[in-house]
Amino acid sequence: MGIGAGLCWTVGKVAVPQFVSLAIDKAIRVEPKPGQTSLLKWTLLIIGAGLIAGVFTGFRRYIAFREARLTETNLREEMFAHLQRLHFAFHDEAQTGQLMSRANTDLQQIQSMIVNIPITFSNATIVVAVTVILLSTNFVLGVLALVCLPFVNVIARKFFQQLHPAVMAIQASSAEVATVVEETVSGIRVVKGFGTEDVQAQSLRARADDVFTSSMAASITRGTYLPAMELLPNIGLILVLAYGGHLVLKGQLTIGELVKFQSYVLLLLWPLRMMGMIVAQAQRSAAAAQRVHEILATESLIVDPPNPKPLPTPTQRGAVEFTNVTFGYPTTGAGPVLRNLNLSIEPGTSVAIVGGTGSGKTTIARLIPRFYDVDTGSITIDGIDVRNVKLRELRRSVGIVFEDTFLFSDTIRANISFAYPDASLSVVENAARLAGASEFIEDLPDGYDTLIGERGFSLSGGQRQRISIARAILADPRILILDDATSSVDPTKEHEIRDALAEVMHGRTTIVIAHRAATITLADRVVLLDNGVIAAVGTHDELIATSDRYREVLAAQSAATNPSTGA
Amino acid sequence: MWLAGGVDPEDKLSSDDRSQLMRRCGRMLRPYRRLVVSTLGLVVLWTACTLAGPAIVRYGIDVGLGERTHHGDSGALNLAVVLYIVAAVISYFVYRLQIVAIARIGENFLRDLRNRVFDHLLRMSMTFYDTQKAGVLVSRMTSDVDSMGELVQQGLAMFVTNGLLLALSFVVLFTLSWELTLVCLISLPVVILASIKFQRDSNVAYLAVRDNIGQTLSTLQEGISGVRIIQAFGRERTQTDEFTNKNRALYDAHMKSVKISAWYIPIIDFAGISTTAAVIGIGGWLVHKGSVTTGTVIAFVLYLANLFEPVQQLSQLLNIVQSAAASLHKLFGLIDTPIDLGEIPGAVDLPERGDLVVSGITFAYAGTPLGSPAVLNNVDLTIRAGERIVLVGPTGAGKSTLAKLCARLYDPTSGTISFGGVDLTRATMSSLRQRLVVVPQEGYLFDGSVADNIRIAKPSATDLDITKSLRKLGILDRFEALPDGLNTAVRERGSRLSAGERQLVSLARAALADPAVLVLDEATSSLDPGTERIVEHALEQLMADRTVIAIAHRLTTAERADRIGVVADGRLAELGTHRELLKLGGRYTALYASWSGNTLT
Repeated sequence: MGIGAGLCWTVGKVAVPQFVSLAIDKAIRVEPKPGQTSLLKWTLLIIGAGLIAGVFTGFRRYIAFREARLTETNLREEMFAHLQRLHFAFHDEAQTGQLMSRANTDLQQIQSMIVNIPITFSNATIVVAVTVILLSTNFVLGVLALVCLPFVNVIARKFFQQLHPAVMAIQASSAEVATVVEETVSGIRVVKGFGTEDVQAQSLRARADDVFTSSMAASITRGTYLPAMELLPNIGLILVLAYGGHLVLKGQLTIGELVKFQSYVLLLLWPLRMMGMIVAQAQRSAAAAQRVHEILATESLIVDPPNPKPLPTPTQRGAVEFTNVTFGYPTTGAGPVLRNLNLSIEPGTSVAIVGGTGSGKTTIARLIPRFYDVDTGSITIDGIDVRNVKLRELRRSVGIVFEDTFLFSDTIRANISFAYPDASLSVVENAARLAGASEFIEDLPDGYDTLIGERGFSLSGGQRQRISIARAILADPRILILDDATSSVDPTKEHEIRDALAEVMHGRTTIVIAHRAATITLADRVVLLDNGVIAAVGTHDELIATSDRYREVLAAQSAATNPSTGA
Repeated sequence: MWLAGGVDPEDKLSSDDRSQLMRRCGRMLRPYRRLVVSTLGLVVLWTACTLAGPAIVRYGIDVGLGERTHHGDSGALNLAVVLYIVAAVISYFVYRLQIVAIARIGENFLRDLRNRVFDHLLRMSMTFYDTQKAGVLVSRMTSDVDSMGELVQQGLAMFVTNGLLLALSFVVLFTLSWELTLVCLISLPVVILASIKFQRDSNVAYLAVRDNIGQTLSTLQEGISGVRIIQAFGRERTQTDEFTNKNRALYDAHMKSVKISAWYIPIIDFAGISTTAAVIGIGGWLVHKGSVTTGTVIAFVLYLANLFEPVQQLSQLLNIVQSAAASLHKLFGLIDTPIDLGEIPGAVDLPERGDLVVSGITFAYAGTPLGSPAVLNNVDLTIRAGERIVLVGPTGAGKSTLAKLCARLYDPTSGTISFGGVDLTRATMSSLRQRLVVVPQEGYLFDGSVADNIRIAKPSATDLDITKSLRKLGILDRFEALPDGLNTAVRERGSRLSAGERQLVSLARAALADPAVLVLDEATSSLDPGTERIVEHALEQLMADRTVIAIAHRLTTAERADRIGVVADGRLAELGTHRELLKLGGRYTALYASWSGNTLT
């Protein structure tokens, strides 16, 4: 349809100079006989051709953009849905910025290519039609008129190929300016504290100079090619005037035809420039399409089992069993993080996992909801292998609070009720209370309806952690995992949460990963993890009494906060 | 080429603002006066050459081909050809110069603007940064300056040349034939009305597209960076549905904008062609009457082919120009904000050492409503040289404000703070920042290497100075162990370094600055035990032989202080040694109990 509209446009566009030329020869340059209306006839014909060209240029534009935007929109949706399904290991490796540019800039590139398909087609037909008309009117003059025009196409292509990297360079250097400004504003306490305003000013000057240099480079590219693209058709016009003028003098060409040649040379200018641009565009679009395809073709490694088994109904709640589990992160390439690990957690009991950095404690937390699959061995919940449970059911049964809290730019209420968006306010309030968050939320200007995040209220690290604990509590999971979930909470406030957490953990399988003794003692049992294997198991008091390593891991922390044990 | 831009209705400038803006731009361009004048000359010359084409063709046809004289004259034809060549060649070279010259003016203007706004931002006080949203300040320097950059890059040359081309075209047309010029004006009302409507509609459509892009992208970003939470709660489907809604709304906004250009472009195209038709029809009749020549009609036809393109481009550009003007207005507004904390004339350097005396200070943040309680109320405090004092108290009680006032990050509303007998408001800024340094322990890192980040405290420091200050803190090994040692790039926000290492960088900065008074804002977040010990040790080294004012969150820091001040309700509620305050049994005792209650043995 776009192509059809394009063809009609071509017909209208090509007809206008033809009619003008005929009008000059047949109506203007001949003495009118009385009553003759040929002038009016030609005028109306030109208007008619103009109407066709106008209507179809609008149609063509509308149809081309509709197709292109629709493709872009659908692809973006497909990509989003796909990204939501892809496994953790993929997201560990991918950078947010890169995925964003796939779903934004790359899709734009594809979009602008699709827009150009019908336009390119009608541009090509116009070039062919004009060439045929001119060559058949007068071959030599046609050749002279057109000889320079292919170069317009060549130069346009070169121009856009060179302009693109130049424009990218401007964007890159502008981004550098933005970085300096952003860093200075966010780090203003450091800048003011040390009085380093001059350093920052110098740094910006250097970046502003880079923007200047790269912008001027782009302008020099423009200055090189644009005038050449203007000059080439002028050469055609001059040749037509010189040779065609003499043909007219010799009586071999009419003045109308001379004007026709001039008009057609001007008519071809834009189509040829556009076609040059499209060649440059096509290369970029193809690369973009390739990158988009790569993401869409990546299969999720963690998918629903073909024959899922349901978790038994909650007569028996949350028994977790690790049997001979070995696991290493595929992306790091380093050796296994957990080695032949066996761990069994009775339903309704709580376990604190303690260990140094890199001991594998966070990994244990991430294997239970199947964010990754074990390399060998198995993990079961209430006797069912997690790989045999539907993902949605599994993840609804396991509530996890990550160390780095992620909250959505939405109200506090929406964030807490993330698992069940329809939850009533009293349910939300109760979850917040259990997480020790209700007090500060109620002090906020809009209470639970306070917007948080980028455009809203900014919370402290400890407050964010308490909201994400509330979010997990509201989901009412069979198994609750707190991965260093209170690390940013002000030590003077932690005891408030501790009492509330004890209430949440009562009768619920809970796994707590923590540094602070205060939090560790909440758990029934402590598992000391060292280098991917279990080093000791027991209560906090038992381990303090028996395990040197346990004391070592906790001692330093105590030294920093507790006066009675000393440094 | 299609240009899109738009301006928010509330940002649109009044005509007063506009003329003020123009005058101010003129002042900013004064250093480039000669360049501006010669560029204008180039533009006029180029426009003249461009307009010469059809006039030369007219001469060639009327005289050379004998349309008017009724006998061919190959000499005149050749003259026309030569004139055309001359015009084309001049136009080629002038165009080259003109593109670069216009860019040079615009880019110089932008560079000056960037530097000027940023310099001004840097001179503003902390009070200013407390009341302004960081995002807004950043967007002034980025999106507002960039929106002007866009205009300079793609539109400025077009705007100037098209405007002049249109104006001069009418002059030329009028000289050739006033009757035919009137014919050309027939379509003018339609063109003007359509352009006004288009300009309004496309502005609205552009803003809608911009908002929808913003919403789609932020939902996309949250979907990607929050993917772990979304999967953990099994909310992939809902999240995708939400994104789909935003994405579809964006599609609709795009289509609305396409519809607007899809009716406007045909109207202008059609107006152009029907004007040509009218020129042919009426022009032909005038030729028969003998009042114009065929050459003139042809010249009009050729002019018309180039006349309607600029109209289209100008109406698109107008939105961009308006939005750039709105941005510029905001930027000038920022430059005009008065500097509230500066150096007075005749300021003196602070002495090397001395007592820090706070006497009778009251402080309220600017912009807080009258009558609301001050953050600090009539506080007195004398800190002897070399003394270590710790401020504790509930969040928001004013302890951090008191500490920052001591380093003159703010000026007190009333009362004075002096160092070694010199009032801080009478001290030179350079000596002030040298003697009194504020160290936020949660190290904020800038893009660059570890060494670059430490050097911020003292730009003139050599590598040796940096190594020395790291060694003094006993943390040199820790940083030399990094892959590229001190030259390791910290990456975005220091993500390459651990939280503990970031704190160490912050302490190293302070050591390098080597101030007499150290104002320390202790970190609240806990570190892994091993690092915690190293930080503690480095801190101890740093504090040696200095006056220290610390906002403490740790018991050990408080205990090691010479004196402890409890700030509560805007007053210094308690002041004394650890033992004295415990004996007092007041606020400090309560705080101490909650601290030690939290750390079990």
